[in-house]
Amino acid sequence: MKTRLRDSSQLTVSVAAYVSIGAFALFCLIPFWLVYIGSFTAESQIVQGFRLFPTRFSIDAYRFLLQGAQIYRSGFVSIFVTVAGTAGAVLLTSMFAYVAAHPKVKYRYALSFYIYFTMLFPPGLVGYYLLISNWLDLRDSMLALLLPLLFSAFNSFLMTAYFRTLPFELNEAATADGAHELYIFFRIIWPISKPVIATIALFYALSYWNDWFNALMFIDNPHLHPLQMMLRRIVSNSQNLDYLNTNVNLPVSATSVQLSAVVLTIGPIVFLYPFLQRYFMKGMTIGAVKG
Amino acid sequence: MGIGRELMKNKWLYAMSLPVVVYVFIFSYLPMSAHLLAFKLFIPVKGLWGSRWVGLDNLKFFFAGPDWLGVTLNTIFLNLLFMAAGTVCSLAIALLLNEIRLVYFKKVTQSLVILPHFISIVVVNLMVVNFFNGQDGLINRMLGRVGVDPVYWFQTPSVWPWLLALIFVWKGAGWGSIIYLATLTGFSEEYYESARIDGARSWQMIRHITLPLLRPTIIVLTLLALGRIFYGDFGLIYGIIGDNSLLYHSTDVIDTYTYRSLRSTNMNSYSNAAAVGLFQSVMGLVTILFFNWAVRRVDNDSKLF
Repeated sequence: MKTRLRDSSQLTVSVAAYVSIGAFALFCLIPFWLVYIGSFTAESQIVQGFRLFPTRFSIDAYRFLLQGAQIYRSGFVSIFVTVAGTAGAVLLTSMFAYVAAHPKVKYRYALSFYIYFTMLFPPGLVGYYLLISNWLDLRDSMLALLLPLLFSAFNSFLMTAYFRTLPFELNEAATADGAHELYIFFRIIWPISKPVIATIALFYALSYWNDWFNALMFIDNPHLHPLQMMLRRIVSNSQNLDYLNTNVNLPVSATSVQLSAVVLTIGPIVFLYPFLQRYFMKGMTIGAVKG
Repeated sequence: MGIGRELMKNKWLYAMSLPVVVYVFIFSYLPMSAHLLAFKLFIPVKGLWGSRWVGLDNLKFFFAGPDWLGVTLNTIFLNLLFMAAGTVCSLAIALLLNEIRLVYFKKVTQSLVILPHFISIVVVNLMVVNFFNGQDGLINRMLGRVGVDPVYWFQTPSVWPWLLALIFVWKGAGWGSIIYLATLTGFSEEYYESARIDGARSWQMIRHITLPLLRPTIIVLTLLALGRIFYGDFGLIYGIIGDNSLLYHSTDVIDTYTYRSLRSTNMNSYSNAAAVGLFQSVMGLVTILFFNWAVRRVDNDSKLF
């Protein structure tokens, strides 16, 4: 009797879990699905609104977008900024986080506090704007997209928390053998820190890829607009598809062009996602609460 | 003993930290000087130091104006709403995912609920505009099918705190659940084993074992979020509301207000924005210090410094 009771209660909880998690997963998926389907829907249909299933299939929106020059310029800017920025950011952050975690470094807590203070008392938007546009004079330069995201205090603390868990006896032994500090860091520490480095790289890559605010504030030249800025332009001003620099004359609606641009913009993320997931699930939880 | 000797002894280690030390000085400490503009009448050609001191005029202007109370209350209210909705949903997702035994189902659903976290606000904005816009938007057509009159969402400020909370949950609840899930998978199986022997039901184990064990994590994350209550979610709010002044009444937060002051053509725009920014930074500093002190009292291991 008792077992049956427990079984039925277990069953209720299980069913509730499967149903509600399944429902929330669908809720998360549906907007993507609608955008994806919409991007392949013919102009005559899309004006009647979004559909869950395509009614008349068309790739005109993609042809329109891909025959213009802007998608290639913006794609190049996005890829360049993401690759160069992520490489630089991971290198700088990991070196700093390692030193901030190293037991031999007497001022490691002072270094951490130096970073932490910027979270306590952020510089504010006015100072940030003046720095980039007036003092460093980076308006309409790709550096205005690269430099501001090169270091994140949060990522640095995540890495420091990880490095603190390393067995520093490894270093002692290597130092005794006369190995250089840089050698120890790149040849011994990096290989055993892959999950956290992959996690941080993913975070930086996403912040570069998804950044639109710096472009909005500092970049007027369309040749230097990243994909997110291109998308923002054609969303906020849907009359103005000239911006895409297309010569072809296809009967496309602004909506379907927007949707196909979204698909191309988030495509790389969705494509790489399964490969990265197993890393960041591990790396995220190492020191997340302790920061 | 001196600083010099320590620096010499570990010169390569300190050298490795140098790029970030210099970078943070330029990108975080140098711009802090712009807070001084709150007390100056900024003339761009004269620069920060050349501009004239005006004492508390800019701050008086901000506090005498009609806006400051509204944006401050909006910031606090929206943050509390996001925190409450986010915490409840993240916690529920973690607890429910933990009950799922089919490995494949668990993997797929977990991937799906985290996915929105990786999407830029520009894309979210496009989705929101296309789903809610006009009389024939997706949502209004669905409402029409069940006999509800269309709502002109972009002209109705009262619905936006709730819609923004919904978007916040859509985008972040799955991501937020990772930390809870990781914490609760670390709980000892023995508690559950002995509860099972005593005939405890699943939901009883959730209520009397899992939730109490998660309490410190929930409290610490909540206190940390409370410490940032004066900082609005600029990306989400500006990315979606943008410059739609019809919705300012319920959605304008300190950060969007500062951004607009900065961009305004008003000759004193920099100084006004700096005054708002200074108010925010000072309030932010006080609340962060207070809630970090509170975190330390709750759980000394989780303190930030």
